[in-house]
Amino acid sequence: MYLRVLLSLLFLPNFLLASYKYETIVDDLDDAWSMVFIDENTILFTELPGNLKIINLLDKSITNIANTPKVHYASQGGLSEVILDPEFKSNNKIYLSYSAKNKNNKSTLFLSSAELKDSTLENQKVIFEAVAPRRTSVHLGAKIAFMHDGTLLLNSGDGFDHREKAQYLDNHFGKIIRINTDGTVPQDNPFVNTAGSLPEIYSYGHRNMQGLIVTSSGDIYENEHGPKGGDEMNLIKPSLNYGWPAITYGIDYSGAVISPFTEKEGMEQPLLHWTPSIAPSDMVYYEDTLYPEFTGSFLVTALVSKDVKKVTFVNGADNQESLFSDLNERLRNIEVSPAGFIYLLTDGPGGKLIKVLPKE
Amino acid sequence: MKISKYPFAVLSAALFTVMLVTPITSISNLIWLSSVDMPVTFITSLEVILFDFQRLGFPLFAVFTIAFGIAFTVAGLLSRFTIYGGNNLFALAGAAAIGVALILMVELLFQTQLLGGNRSFIGKIFHWIAGFFGGYFFYNLISTERTYTFVVRFFGIFYAYVLLGLVLSWVFTPSAAAANFGFILTDLSDSAQNALLRDFTSFFVATFIFSILGVITLNPAWFFSAGIIYYGAALFNLIAIYAHGTSYNQIYVGEIILGTLPTLLALTIIYKKKSI
Repeated sequence: MYLRVLLSLLFLPNFLLASYKYETIVDDLDDAWSMVFIDENTILFTELPGNLKIINLLDKSITNIANTPKVHYASQGGLSEVILDPEFKSNNKIYLSYSAKNKNNKSTLFLSSAELKDSTLENQKVIFEAVAPRRTSVHLGAKIAFMHDGTLLLNSGDGFDHREKAQYLDNHFGKIIRINTDGTVPQDNPFVNTAGSLPEIYSYGHRNMQGLIVTSSGDIYENEHGPKGGDEMNLIKPSLNYGWPAITYGIDYSGAVISPFTEKEGMEQPLLHWTPSIAPSDMVYYEDTLYPEFTGSFLVTALVSKDVKKVTFVNGADNQESLFSDLNERLRNIEVSPAGFIYLLTDGPGGKLIKVLPKE
Repeated sequence: MKISKYPFAVLSAALFTVMLVTPITSISNLIWLSSVDMPVTFITSLEVILFDFQRLGFPLFAVFTIAFGIAFTVAGLLSRFTIYGGNNLFALAGAAAIGVALILMVELLFQTQLLGGNRSFIGKIFHWIAGFFGGYFFYNLISTERTYTFVVRFFGIFYAYVLLGLVLSWVFTPSAAAANFGFILTDLSDSAQNALLRDFTSFFVATFIFSILGVITLNPAWFFSAGIIYYGAALFNLIAIYAHGTSYNQIYVGEIILGTLPTLLALTIIYKKKSI
């Protein structure tokens, strides 16, 4: 009895501070990684072990999708991102990124298209295989976004052990990739005519990219894990070098110096960096009005700081606010429903899908 | 007086090997940075090598101590019960210990190569060679009789090694060092920045030098000097809290620890000199 009173007193401050109410839609998800709204009441989501599922938000039922790609589920790898084709309602096309073994039995990043019909994937086609083979399935990136011209962007991480390759254009480590939906290379890609460069590369010098978004104005933003410190948020422009690992605000997990330099001409500075690390995992740019306090803000989910960072920029300077920290969850993914509601996925086994209710 | 020299020989050999190993990562990194036209200078190289020795060295010291502890025990048993022995046996044991430890760090713990200098074949060879010299160093330490000065010197060096991190931060990255103490350097006036940097840097550099001089000369006054400074910091920390109303700052615990170790070393030297 006394223990219960004591515990309730301990948790009282959190309760009083909570500004938002949450509704847990489902829990016990198995390493849920990404989600996308098919409509206001239907979410398509991935789980790293290779599961693609649909959840009906009305009755909270979950349907497994059959015939998903064979993935290499290990460490940080598995079935990662899912997004819908802009013409999904007419063509049922979706795009999936995942780690799988290549022909040399090394793990790398793949991007496939498929048609979602009657809870089954049909007409699957691998449209991109990263030239980024690695022994251990880590630092894959794997976020996908559509540009306004209908081309696809894909994060391809630095593979940890291959960080220096992020500075060279003959591989896909630490790059943002741009391809057409059929896997061909857009002829206006920046390195199409550069000898020795892979034509899919859009920008380079990245580490372990996570959030990747294209705003309604067409601007591309990404965030990425630094090592110990040096998490970054960047405005992405074609052909630019974002510096990793030649310049960084972080140090290695081992304590070693990665680079004593934080800037160099010809290498882009981040819009902001987080030191110590927050481990950003996803990002949206909130353009709806259901939560007017968020309109015009970036909402960045974080694994280490267990919150959502609301980020705005005024005259180039960032302004940040921590949200939803009372959930005390490692947050993996954030999406905005067609009606403007914010949904969160928590990280790891036993993960939850949480709806954030607007303030009354 | 006889002492149990083996544990301290293992610790000393581990620290010695750390000193050989960390520059492998530093230099391989600096070579790559130069190759992509980064402006690597003598000062930046020194900064990287010293920082790596301290920050990368600390976890490696723990790993190498365990690895050497096992390897040298096996080597000791072999030398006792077989015809094999001598410095080459311990040197090979040291090389094997480092090689196995670095493989296990990847296979059992991280699945990735955390040690940048160990990613290439040539880097791996250098690490084994460093382990070889570590084993050789261990054998030299245990081959002759050791007195209490061996222990005092080990702890004195280890103490300086701990302080080296603070020294390097204040010398090379003062903004970050100041931030760790609650200062936002750029928020201060120029003269306040100057005062902060010179006083803090001098504080840590002085205590670092005192401990090195204590190790070299075994004069207890040097260790006492370092101890007095840190005890003073702890005392005035508490006075600041309780007499001047600053917020509670538990760093005084660390200051007491940093004051106690050199004081104990100084007292040990005095006691032992008296007993001799």
